[in-house]
Amino acid sequence: MSYFKVNEHCNGCLACVQNCPANALDYLDQGGKRRLLHNMTLCARCGNCWRVCPHGAVEFQHLLHGQWDEVVTMDLVTCMVCGDPLHTVDLGKSLGEKLTREVNPLCPRHRRAQSFMVWKQLSPDKGTAGEAGL
Amino acid sequence: MIVAKTKSIEEIASSIADFEKVLIIGCGSCMTVCLSGGDKEARALARDLSNPDFYRGDPPSLRADTFQRQCERDLLKAYLRIPEGVNAILSLACGAGVQTLADVLDPVPVIPALNTTFLGALDEPGLWREKCVGCGDCLLTLTGGICPLARCAKRLLNGPCGGSSKGKCEIGEDVDCAWHLIVERLAARGRLEDYEKIYAPRDWSLEKGGGPRSIRHAPRQFPA
Repeated sequence: MSYFKVNEHCNGCLACVQNCPANALDYLDQGGKRRLLHNMTLCARCGNCWRVCPHGAVEFQHLLHGQWDEVVTMDLVTCMVCGDPLHTVDLGKSLGEKLTREVNPLCPRHRRAQSFMVWKQLSPDKGTAGEAGL
Repeated sequence: MIVAKTKSIEEIASSIADFEKVLIIGCGSCMTVCLSGGDKEARALARDLSNPDFYRGDPPSLRADTFQRQCERDLLKAYLRIPEGVNAILSLACGAGVQTLADVLDPVPVIPALNTTFLGALDEPGLWREKCVGCGDCLLTLTGGICPLARCAKRLLNGPCGGSSKGKCEIGEDVDCAWHLIVERLAARGRLEDYEKIYAPRDWSLEKGGGPRSIRHAPRQFPA
């Protein structure tokens, strides 16, 4: 996915490539095709490409208001009472190695409450886990 | 980078008190990196300024947005969108950004929320120190990469002065003596002959003595 987008007026003249001060634009002529390349890690978002394009083809708004990229997906631990997300499973493991006792996954609200009340709510003879209402 | 600090909340509030609808605009470049005027600071300022205790009448209606670089006139003209009814802008840009925004949005008043302070670098997390005064005639080649104009309290070209003690400047124990650092570094590099040179008075017309400065770069190429 590229944040550097051009519209149908781009004719591959390479004005943007030649005038990019950060060398964030490049091109590849191969197999009878010209491909315009953009490297976001080099891009300073200075607007020079948009400024010098003789055809008004650079859609610079995509470099000002881009979208979020997903970086990584991890499993979550949730509060055993209300189900609110607490932390990742991996973070829980890292912290667990440093603790001398097991800590129940509880959100701040339910951790403040008396723990036996929580257990009472979760105990089999009281039914399934749910809102403790503490 | 350019480093700035936020004005007091009382000063900012008094400067926007007469307006009904204010747009707070953070700047996505230097001010974001120096933790003074980015998107987070713009939204936090909107929350703080909505406190009615700062105003005699009703507080202004506040919205926050961020623009990537407020010092680029043509980008502002093309892409900055001002919501209907906004009658003042509170800018979290440096002085260059505030002035550019004021030109582009004239006659809408643009009010600075920051005091632009210096050209500096991040020495440790959260701590920026002044490193450059933009003198227009860089002498770092001769001073071991340490600028006496920016980092010596007296801007001495031939230092140190008598106020240098144990590597610190007399103005404060947390301020290194720039000339002490320069001598140490030149000695380590075997370049003390650079220290022995007497620097002649500088041409201050290259700094501010010649009036406001400008630089023009021609585009490298404009294909037909």
